[in-house]
Amino acid sequence: MPDTSLISLPPAAEAELVRRLQARDEAAMTLFYDRYSAALYGVIFRIVKAEDEAEDVLQEALVKIWHAFASYDPGKGRLFTWVLNICRNLSIDKIRSRQHRVGSRTQGLDESLTAQRQAAPTTFRPEHIGLQEITQKLIPEQRLIIDLLYFEGFTQSEVAEELNIPLGTVKTRARTAIKVLSKLIR
Amino acid sequence: MENIQDYIESGILEQYALGELTPAQQSEVAGLAARHPEIQDELTQVQQALGFYAEAHAITPPAGMRERVLANVMAQIATPASALRADVDAVAQAPAATRTPLASAAPAAEAVVRPLSSAPVAEPAGRSVWAMAASVALIMSLAANALFYSRWQDANSDLVALQGDQARFATTTQVMDRQLGNLRQENQVLRNDEFRSVALAGTKTAPSAKARVLYNASTKKVYLDVKSLPALPAGQQYQLWALDNGKPVDAGVLTVATATGAGLQAMKDIASAQAFAMTVEPMGGSISPTLSTMTVIGNI
Repeated sequence: MPDTSLISLPPAAEAELVRRLQARDEAAMTLFYDRYSAALYGVIFRIVKAEDEAEDVLQEALVKIWHAFASYDPGKGRLFTWVLNICRNLSIDKIRSRQHRVGSRTQGLDESLTAQRQAAPTTFRPEHIGLQEITQKLIPEQRLIIDLLYFEGFTQSEVAEELNIPLGTVKTRARTAIKVLSKLIR
Repeated sequence: MENIQDYIESGILEQYALGELTPAQQSEVAGLAARHPEIQDELTQVQQALGFYAEAHAITPPAGMRERVLANVMAQIATPASALRADVDAVAQAPAATRTPLASAAPAAEAVVRPLSSAPVAEPAGRSVWAMAASVALIMSLAANALFYSRWQDANSDLVALQGDQARFATTTQVMDRQLGNLRQENQVLRNDEFRSVALAGTKTAPSAKARVLYNASTKKVYLDVKSLPALPAGQQYQLWALDNGKPVDAGVLTVATATGAGLQAMKDIASAQAFAMTVEPMGGSISPTLSTMTVIGNI
């Protein structure tokens, strides 16, 4: 199924971008921004849930990507996977430090999920076709687990605790959900 | 490694991809993935699936953010900018450097101010005119470079934006093509006289439930069209059964989209049937129907 690389770069274009970043070509950061900012901002915003903080994290992430680029190994995975991890980690650090400051462990589950629903755009946007498909194919309980793991930065044990279900069930559901997503790509 | 499949199914690759593991565990997974292609393949699939999930949640950043963020990022990473500034500083320092020894020399020769100041100054003044001309030329050239550089960057980013648009349109077209294909297929089924429509009415467990089966006895094809079905609790799924001489034959489970009436679903081929019925079964379906959960039924 070819309609999955919604915004990820075709391999040749990605290789070119990687080459330019390795050559320390600063102009390539503009290309990088134009290509990946929507995907990265989407993830960051869904984790930190505030526009100004999301902007700070994205900026921090771009600087980090630039400086840490030497440690990226194209042989081990795609550029998108690597930068996505950097953004997720920075965002999760951000909410952890915030929770630490406020002293509460997590936002209530209901509250955080409401925030996500509000963030979802209602108008038709072609880039959200993938999302419609996901909504159709993942059953709600699978989607909830993936959202908690991916966008709330929960560990599998924390999910089990939060939803009050056995850890084994969390693992199975997470695996099944990821399998469903993999099928959507192929 | 004894059992690669067990390792894959332990869920550790998902934890790796989600960033849940300690650095030690991470390097263990990375090491195993490097040695066993099956593990690497599975890991790549997991990472791509999560990447796909992330991309599907893309949000276009608010207006004005691009310029702010890029300007700040460029300011933090720029090396040529600081090199440029160093050049400009050097140019700016050049006249000052010729001036400093003069200033210190002047008070030392208070008595003969006039001859001193006119004679030795003449030469540096000539040089400083050249230096000034050179620095003006350099500054103009730097300004021109900056202008061309920014135009080149703009052109580059316009190109990327257009490529992005084009990729999105291509995606939309592909999805629309697929949806159109589905609709064509549904239309063919609906217009085909060989398909008999079998109305399925709600049982007393769900009186308002309604669906129909389109059955082609010669090609054995079965399509299902849901009008309305009660929503199911998590972990359960509707399953269609064909009844052949009173014996239930599995005709497949309904996807979530079908159960909510999104469109026709092709079910399993059925060789012969006199009636169709639907029951509620655990996710994935059952081998034999749970009759107490029968939701709709209809005779051909």
